[in-house]
Amino acid sequence: MDFVSNLALGFSVALTPFNLMMAMIGVLIGILIGALPGIGPPSGVALLLPLTFGMDPTSGIIMLAALYAGSMYGGTITAVLINTPGEAASVVTCIDGHQMALQGRAGAALGIAAFGSFVAGTFGVVMLMLVSPALARWSLSFGPPETFALMLLGLTTVTLLTGENAIKGYISMVLGLMIAMVGFDIISGDARYALGIPEMMDGIDFLPVAIGLFGLGEVLAGAEQAKSKPAIIHVGYGLRHVMPTAKDWVRSRWAIARGTVLGFFVGVLPGAGPTIGTFLSYALEKKVSKYPQEFGHGAIEGVAGPEAANNSASTGAMVPMLTLGIPGSATTAIMLGGLMMWGLRPGPMLFEKNPEFVWGLIASQYIANIMLLILSTAFIPLFVRALRVPYTILMPLIIIFCITGAYSLKNSVWDVGQMLIFGVLGYAMKKLGYSPAALTLALVLGPLAERALRQSLIISDAGVGIFFLRPIAAVLTTVAILAMLMPALRALRSAMRRRALANAA
Amino acid sequence: MRRADRVAGASLLAISVAFSAGALTNHVYWGEYGPGPGFLPFWLGVVMAVLATTLLVDALRSPDPGAAWLPSGDGLKRLAVVLGVTVAFVALLNVLGMIVDTALFLLVLIRYLDRSPWWLALTLSAATSAVIYLVFSFWLRVPFPVGPLGF
Repeated sequence: MDFVSNLALGFSVALTPFNLMMAMIGVLIGILIGALPGIGPPSGVALLLPLTFGMDPTSGIIMLAALYAGSMYGGTITAVLINTPGEAASVVTCIDGHQMALQGRAGAALGIAAFGSFVAGTFGVVMLMLVSPALARWSLSFGPPETFALMLLGLTTVTLLTGENAIKGYISMVLGLMIAMVGFDIISGDARYALGIPEMMDGIDFLPVAIGLFGLGEVLAGAEQAKSKPAIIHVGYGLRHVMPTAKDWVRSRWAIARGTVLGFFVGVLPGAGPTIGTFLSYALEKKVSKYPQEFGHGAIEGVAGPEAANNSASTGAMVPMLTLGIPGSATTAIMLGGLMMWGLRPGPMLFEKNPEFVWGLIASQYIANIMLLILSTAFIPLFVRALRVPYTILMPLIIIFCITGAYSLKNSVWDVGQMLIFGVLGYAMKKLGYSPAALTLALVLGPLAERALRQSLIISDAGVGIFFLRPIAAVLTTVAILAMLMPALRALRSAMRRRALANAA
Repeated sequence: MRRADRVAGASLLAISVAFSAGALTNHVYWGEYGPGPGFLPFWLGVVMAVLATTLLVDALRSPDPGAAWLPSGDGLKRLAVVLGVTVAFVALLNVLGMIVDTALFLLVLIRYLDRSPWWLALTLSAATSAVIYLVFSFWLRVPFPVGPLGF
């Protein structure tokens, strides 16, 4: 492929005033959507798709892809400042990002996230450009066993995020999986655990649950505090204060590098998107860090890595969508719907017959990442300034956000009720040491994992053995099992040590 | 917290048993070609039962009652009010419509939590309702529940 001439074509498309405007609008709306809990990139893309029917498909995809990139950052803003993930890929950023904010380092967190996002996003586009053909060919060899093994790994590494009490972490995760079982089973057509209620037959959507667990739950926890708790966080709004310190840069650079690469490859894999990329990145950073005890208390690598990962993953997720017609994430699944509606068939034909679409998109992504960097570093101070409102006023507003967000998913008051219930649950979980993040991830991955599991067992002659007979799946599965056993081994070791001490005394 | 752990452990144990039982009685465990809809739910129930039992046993054996997790006094009252007003909001959503419900909700809670003067609370709730209306109803075209006043 002649990259230079293709890129030239791409830029000639991307640099038209209209398409530049589309990219800018996409980034802006993306940041907003990312920040608002209850409207994530999937909903954002779905809501804006009808607006693109009247325009050239290239312009449409430019805007939607820019939106996707922007939303990865927008979620960071609320994750860091008010501990509310604007969408799934920001859940992990809440952990250390908000802690950093509480320590007065919100600017550093947001700054490193912005920069990490830029680096990762640009890397993602370069890779998208270079690697699409070859990578698509390789990931074709990923069958259900490999997909399931990857999801199993993602689920088990979640428990590394849950702090000391592994039992409660696993309970949270399994609970999420159980909730994911509610609703229609696609393969058989059975309605499971619907209890005769029509709304339950649709299953329990991740969004109202996440909004409830994180958004409303946090507000309820805040409600019991003394009334004049000062607002969110004091961030001086000169650009100086937005910049991370030199030490932050030094510590983060490898986290960003690792997150970028890890995120891209995770994003490419069908079914695994930015969200699982952030969880894996966080686990990786905690593993290799010289300061693992800082994680959960404001370790900047815990922000830099996942933030880079989600941006490269979101770009990576477009690789299988464009090359194979298989979505790399929920958002790209909706984008795929858009492509079909525009009459475009993904695959090698797309590169042949509509080069201006593909390369226009690629060129525009370069531009969108630059726009995102500029807007995010410029916006933070304004955003933060707006958030110096007293928390007691902010609380009811956040609740309204959560309610409208939960409602707008399916125009359903039932979803709002769900959000409410999970809000109370989230409050209890936080107070009692469980993990809303584990529950949420399990809820998102549950249906996909089950499908992969069942497909694997259907094609397998060896029952569960299939996960060990195929090389890639075997590696992933083994690592997942080791991750599961680690807390048990740790508990065993400390129990033995205690007994040894008791005997010696 | 220990009491909460015992309650949680016992309830989760009960739920997981019911979950697995429901899976087996209502759905096919293993179909013609592979796992049926009852397969994974059954095993999830089993895993949860094991986890819940561990939690329960740990909590039963532990001598330390652990930290209190529910707030008391003023904190509890505030929590109850916020939760109560939110529940009322949801219950009244279809009755009053999103805009009016939002305005009332904000009015009540801002006054209660922040003790701000009436004019501030009124302004904020009116302004927010208007913004929500513009953003969601005009721009994003999300059809909100409407109340008796038509919006």
